[in-house]
Amino acid sequence: MFKSLRWRLQVWHAVVLLTVLSSFGAIVHRLHWQTRLQQIDAELHRTINLVYSQRFRLLPRPVRRPRRVDTPNETEAARTEQTAAGNTNAAPAPIPTEGEGEKSRPQFETNVRMARDQSQLPVEFDQLFHGEEDSRFYFVIWGKNGEMLQRSDLAPSIEYPNVHVLADGVPLRIPRDRKDKYLCREVVAAFPIPRMPGDKSPTSDLNILVGRSLEKDLAAQNQSGLLLALTGLVILAAGVLGGGWLAARAIRSIDAMTGAAEAISAQNLSQRINVKELDSELGKLAKVLNQTFDRLQSAFERQSQFTADASHELRTPLSVIATHTELALSRSRSNEDYRAALETCQRASQRMRSLIDALLLLARFEAGTSLLKHERVDIAALVQDCVELVEPLATNKSLSINCRVVPCQVKGDWDRLAQVVTNLLTNAIRYNADGGKIEATTRIERDRVVISVRDTGVGIAAAELPRIFDRFYQVDKVRGQAEGSCGLGLAICKTIVESHGGSISASSQPGVGTTMEVRLLLADATPVFEGAASSGELLVSTWEANEV
Amino acid sequence: MIEDEPDVIRAVAMFLREAGYSVDTAENGEDGLFKAVAWDYDVILLDVMLPKRDGWSVLEELRRQKKSTPVLMLTARDDVKDRVRGLDIGADDYLVKPFELTELVARIRALIRRSAGKAQSLIEIGAVSIDTTARTVSVDGNNVALTAKEYCLLEFLAIHRGELVTRTKIYDHLFDEYDSSLSNLVDVYVSNIRRKVGRELITTRRGMGYIIEG
Repeated sequence: MFKSLRWRLQVWHAVVLLTVLSSFGAIVHRLHWQTRLQQIDAELHRTINLVYSQRFRLLPRPVRRPRRVDTPNETEAARTEQTAAGNTNAAPAPIPTEGEGEKSRPQFETNVRMARDQSQLPVEFDQLFHGEEDSRFYFVIWGKNGEMLQRSDLAPSIEYPNVHVLADGVPLRIPRDRKDKYLCREVVAAFPIPRMPGDKSPTSDLNILVGRSLEKDLAAQNQSGLLLALTGLVILAAGVLGGGWLAARAIRSIDAMTGAAEAISAQNLSQRINVKELDSELGKLAKVLNQTFDRLQSAFERQSQFTADASHELRTPLSVIATHTELALSRSRSNEDYRAALETCQRASQRMRSLIDALLLLARFEAGTSLLKHERVDIAALVQDCVELVEPLATNKSLSINCRVVPCQVKGDWDRLAQVVTNLLTNAIRYNADGGKIEATTRIERDRVVISVRDTGVGIAAAELPRIFDRFYQVDKVRGQAEGSCGLGLAICKTIVESHGGSISASSQPGVGTTMEVRLLLADATPVFEGAASSGELLVSTWEANEV
Repeated sequence: MIEDEPDVIRAVAMFLREAGYSVDTAENGEDGLFKAVAWDYDVILLDVMLPKRDGWSVLEELRRQKKSTPVLMLTARDDVKDRVRGLDIGADDYLVKPFELTELVARIRALIRRSAGKAQSLIEIGAVSIDTTARTVSVDGNNVALTAKEYCLLEFLAIHRGELVTRTKIYDHLFDEYDSSLSNLVDVYVSNIRRKVGRELITTRRGMGYIIEG
């Protein structure tokens, strides 16, 4: 079962489909995640800017100017912001003075102020960091030296990242996978601390980290991955089913053909495969098979026709013998009666013998066991011999035989070739009108000799002409049987000529006559009288038989 | 008998004549069909492979013309298909060549019997019993010596007993196409039978023919 074409098609189809679907799904899944990460990164970038701007707008004027950081811009921005936010509690901070900065104190002040100002943050900003547990952002702010300045409530404890500022204001992103609690995406950026206008002190940096949990995104991603996989499975199932249906459809016609071909056996060769689509591959195959069956059928029919004919031809003389012996023995008879019976039996047995000889000859040639001699045969002498042989027959029917031959030699078996020529001559006599003419001639055509026997008989209808070389085929059964012919003569001629590498052909005009031509390869490579003989001028020997 | 092999015709016709049958022959389908239609034969022996018109077509034409003469087909072809075809067209029996003449005669007897609607080979009419197989007649158990023609006539009348049999029919039955006997020979045979078997058996219907009352 699993060796069947259908199953192999199915399996291959499924494997290919699975590969395509899974690689496609994997790519889509990955692209989706990357897009999501890009979106998150953009969000983080926005947020980090927001944190920076919000923080430093909200920063109160430091009591003392921090050692590195403060800028007038910042303070002003912070002040305006404070006013805008309506923070009346915050007293205007004095402008920090140069050299007053201590490291710990302004830090502390800032933190305190920041913590206090937390409550006055805009609502959106607040929600950003205190929203739902799994989607909210967190931030951590470090000073230049890595001291933590501030962190949002839910920020995990993060060590000061090894951040290098590539350029002013360009955020450096470090994605982090935090294994301890949950997966996060974090962005760190270094920002300059705003300075007062005219402040020439070296810029100091703040490092801000903004992160966000990826839990929700991962869940969504997993969900979409699951959805993708399920869709893929559904498509795979549909594909496999569809492929199976297609394969079954394709196989069905093959199965139908196999069934039809199986139904066609030796007993029933007349059936044919029903060809619906002639142009499809299967249609072509069916057509080829049908043609093969045609040939097989005609071969079988010829074979069974041959067997039937042979058995008929053998049974007829046998029944003559059987009936005559039974008749003669049924009571005591006169000597003349016995003699007549025995003579009839003798005729019948002779007929059987010649028939069996003919059949055996054909069978030997067919089996390739005929022992043909390979000697040089003088065709001119052979034709003349044969004409002499049939002369008495011709005399009986008042026929004249005109014989013109050119000397030439072929390689072959004299007796068999003589049999062919005699047979052709006998036919020409048998089917000739009384007082008719027969011409037996030879001529050279390139590397071949053509033996031609022409009669002035009834001729053969064009429809029958191709069949006259068939075994047991007789154009005129009555006349043939009356003359003791069994219908094998021309079949034997054809077999003999073909086993000599030659060909035999017939042309006929009903009412005018028939011409039989035998072509045989010349023994010598270069024919002797080619030009002269083919023009018919050089008649080496003319032999008139039986002038009437 | 329609058959194209002259030697076979000769032997079969001679054997049948010696057995007391009258035999007409034809060597081709056309002649055979003409004779088969023109006369009422008791049995036609028909070869399949015939010149001019093959046996099948002769049989078909015969049946088309509503001739129900029993036909025994003789052929050298023993293909089952051929046999079935012949029987389907309307042949009554089939014999493959070469055949035994005795078997042929037995089949002919059986066909004649069946065609007259009698399955028995022994016909008994009162004290007279006719054995169609042995071709003997006995009265009260005593054998009666009849000539072949006398026996044929008696058997013909006995097989058709209860029916009026015309003189022409009897003549056709007793003599073949080459016989030039006079038709009053029938009366001679009838009187001979009456003398040997008994006066009451055969009744004369003047001007029409003879009948054995069934």
